[in-house]
Amino acid sequence: MNTKRRKDVFRKKATPYLYLSPTIILMFILLVIPIIMVIRYSLFDNVIINKNPQFVGFANYAAVLKDKTFWIAVKNTLYFVIVSIIAHLIIGMVFALVLNTRYLNSRTKGIFRVLYALPWMFTASVIAILWRMMLDPNGILNYLIVTMGISEKNIAFLAKRDIALQAVTLINIWSGYPFYMISILAGLQGISTDLYEAASIDGATTIKTFLHITIPQLKPILISLLMLDFVWTLQQFALIWMTTGGGPVNATETVSTYIYKQGFTKYQYSMASTGAVILLIVCTIIGIFYVRQQRSEG
Amino acid sequence: MKMRKVATIGAAALAMCLLGSTAMAEDVTLEFQQWWGVELPDGALQEICDGFTADTGIKIDLLSNPYADTKTQIAAGAAAGTMADVVGLDGSWVYDFAKQGSIANLTELMDASGYDASQLSDQIKVDGNTYMIPVVNFAYPLYVNTDILAEAGVEEIPTTWTEFFDALEKIKTNTDAMGFAVPLSSEAPNGIQNQVSTWLWASGGAWLEDGKPNMVGNEKAEKVVDFIKDLATNGYISDGAAAMKEQDMVNEFENGRLAFMVDGISHLTTIKNESPDLNFDYAPMPVMDDYDGQRGMDVANWGIGIAENCENKEAAIQFVEYLMSPEVNAKLAQLANAFPGNSKAEPDYSANDPLFLKAFDIFQTGYAINEFTGAPTSEDLMRSFNEQLVLYIDGDTETAADMLAATQEQWEAAFN
Amino acid sequence: MVGKKKVWVKVLVIIVLILGALWAGFPILWMFLNSFKPNAEIFAWPPVWISKGFSFGAYKAIFTNPEQVRFFINSYVIAGLVVILTLFIGIMASYAFSRFNFVGKKVINTVIVAVQAVPPITLLIPYLSLIVTLKIYNTFAALVLTYMVFTLPYCILMTTGYLNTLPKDLDEAVMIDGGSRWRALWKILVPTSIPGLVSVGMYTFMQAWNEYLFALALTKTNDMRTVPVGINLLMGQHSYEWNQMMAMSVLGSLPILILFLFFQRYFIAGMTAGSVKS
Repeated sequence: MNTKRRKDVFRKKATPYLYLSPTIILMFILLVIPIIMVIRYSLFDNVIINKNPQFVGFANYAAVLKDKTFWIAVKNTLYFVIVSIIAHLIIGMVFALVLNTRYLNSRTKGIFRVLYALPWMFTASVIAILWRMMLDPNGILNYLIVTMGISEKNIAFLAKRDIALQAVTLINIWSGYPFYMISILAGLQGISTDLYEAASIDGATTIKTFLHITIPQLKPILISLLMLDFVWTLQQFALIWMTTGGGPVNATETVSTYIYKQGFTKYQYSMASTGAVILLIVCTIIGIFYVRQQRSEG
Repeated sequence: MKMRKVATIGAAALAMCLLGSTAMAEDVTLEFQQWWGVELPDGALQEICDGFTADTGIKIDLLSNPYADTKTQIAAGAAAGTMADVVGLDGSWVYDFAKQGSIANLTELMDASGYDASQLSDQIKVDGNTYMIPVVNFAYPLYVNTDILAEAGVEEIPTTWTEFFDALEKIKTNTDAMGFAVPLSSEAPNGIQNQVSTWLWASGGAWLEDGKPNMVGNEKAEKVVDFIKDLATNGYISDGAAAMKEQDMVNEFENGRLAFMVDGISHLTTIKNESPDLNFDYAPMPVMDDYDGQRGMDVANWGIGIAENCENKEAAIQFVEYLMSPEVNAKLAQLANAFPGNSKAEPDYSANDPLFLKAFDIFQTGYAINEFTGAPTSEDLMRSFNEQLVLYIDGDTETAADMLAATQEQWEAAFN
Repeated sequence: MVGKKKVWVKVLVIIVLILGALWAGFPILWMFLNSFKPNAEIFAWPPVWISKGFSFGAYKAIFTNPEQVRFFINSYVIAGLVVILTLFIGIMASYAFSRFNFVGKKVINTVIVAVQAVPPITLLIPYLSLIVTLKIYNTFAALVLTYMVFTLPYCILMTTGYLNTLPKDLDEAVMIDGGSRWRALWKILVPTSIPGLVSVGMYTFMQAWNEYLFALALTKTNDMRTVPVGINLLMGQHSYEWNQMMAMSVLGSLPILILFLFFQRYFIAGMTAGSVKS
């Protein structure tokens, strides 16, 4: 009797861990171990190339933090990320509001919803190739710009140091807003119509309704979106690498391309790992904020 | 109960996935990773490898991908110890892989198999030992679109810088085409080697002296840097240079929008296939006006090496020796529009395009040079040169001498 | 007054609608048109809209090349496996988070959520040696397991959200009738949360279908490669096959478009269920 009881208690306690075990095993082997490895690499000199690397403590960190290119990369990354997420939010919001108005019938809404979501369905390498083709000095955008008289000369968008970063950011904005649009659209459809009716009885203007009902109701979704997008955009590598390779000079160098170059063209795997750990720390901090936010909401 | 069973099955399935499958080969099979298969006529490389299998019973598994992809693969393989047994190498990668200990010392392997290395026209060495053997070599002559020249009213193909500038000016005023292209993309900075350095080498100059950077006070180097800047400021090269890759340049040429370009003869067949109506010719590189010495000609090669992690090094060196044997090497050179790496090979070029023979003649009047072959972190050297050059063209750096001094400083870090 | 305002708003809506369509659709239209052109016309000036040399040649070239077709098959197999395994494992984990209180719950949950912030590129270098040590280099297993690491957190987070919205009475009723927890989860809870799971599944599919960096680094032979790598392989050394790249891009994006068309209702409904908790 007693042993059976104890067994039951044990079973009850063990059950959640059993349900979690596949996740935990996978995460441990393919996530915790690599993270430990990358941290270890960052504390040694010249791993992989050197067969017997020496422990150097934080020397690699000092070297990375002293590297001017690294700070340029940080600056570019911040520009890229902040402009991207603000633009994503605005474009996503406008499209979602338009697709949610009562002025359109549902078939029109359906067609435009798919049309606006299209950029989201392409992989980074496709987006990079497509935009390289369009932004080429002989490409279609230059043709439109010149024939419409916006500019007299063809503009080499990706080759000019002063506009390359803007051009790459534009590409990222194009490819990333649909996620916002769809999430916000979902959020809008979840707002009770009672709230709007009450507001219109009170005689509130469209703008007031938007600011006092729509935005507060969407707030949890918006905060989640911004945080997720911040982290995703911070990690963007393929798009930048395949359009400009971080150039011209280092006009579009971001932390991701910096890490890649350290590793795969300079073969400085320790320096690459150090850059990676720094990025990891930043992302983890944001991750923790994200968790908190999710908690307070739930 | 049920739950536990399923959890166990789940965990077992995961474990199975993790264990994966490792193919067990009974016979010796060598993996051969390279980008050559993509550039040779379909099936040609396979046929050559089949010849080796017929002789020795050793199977060759070809992993053929374009150049850039092959490079990423081999670099990743070097870091993880998963390199294919035999790998195609570019001269600019050798030093790094040799230093990492990821490619094998071929001197030892050739000695062990009793191979007579004197027949090899070149060997790429690091610290006195051979790590790469150039299988075939490609020259980089000047491609000239003769239609554009005719339209612009340029009668003679330029031979000096002054004539070259005159021609470019005529092309600019009389045609819609671009004169010349210098691809300076940061992603693939080999434009520095093939479209910039080539001007220096043609006029007998060099970036290095005794294997060390020698750019400070190097008069010819300064002239070349200024020459490239003049091309840009006069509007003779495409605006998009800083984002241009070699492929973009070839594209422009194929579409008849580019008058001159410097490119490997290896692209001869593909360009003819893409644009059968294009009229073009080869010419030697124009040189500095007062230069009358021998011209250096940029060469690239398809090199070969053996992975340190290869388990059948005897078989691998046997395969390398097969590819280098006079008959096979001659055949490969003939198929690739290239020059053989074995000095005893006598390719029969009679079936090749007459233009190729012309390039061959041009090549024989000068000497082959490529200072990036076997240099440390070559790609990074090109990238830092690239960045300094763009800064100079944009006017951020005052003089060519300053630009070269800044580059020298960055290069020295790699050479020490 | 009100009528005037309505007209004004309607005009504004239509203007935004058209501008939006140009912004979102024009690049894709251009990609589509270019896939039918001969290579030489891609950068023609003035641009050629519908080429005289209009042809399905680029598509034909892809379909008749067994290597390219293989990329598609690989992508389907890998993305499909990732979706099934992620959902299976993720649902189990979410059930634990939603229905139990246990020691370490908070910590484990935090770690799993924070994983979403781990940039894949930072792990590329150790991953290579790890995958080699596990002897799964150049196999589907390497890609499937890797993608699961990056898709599971979102799945768990969202699914836990839905399960939390379902009353506990629902599964307890099954257990009182003598059913096991396992049965309650798969027979009652999972069918009830289908809309949410479809949205998670689609998102997972997209992640796995689109990944490039690991797909390139963790495989060696072309018979293991996926569509994004295949598209890049078309950028040969000597020049670009623009029309084929565009055709492959169009084809590579079709599966996701079709999924979206079929499931968009579920998908949009699912997005809210997870993030807005009532």
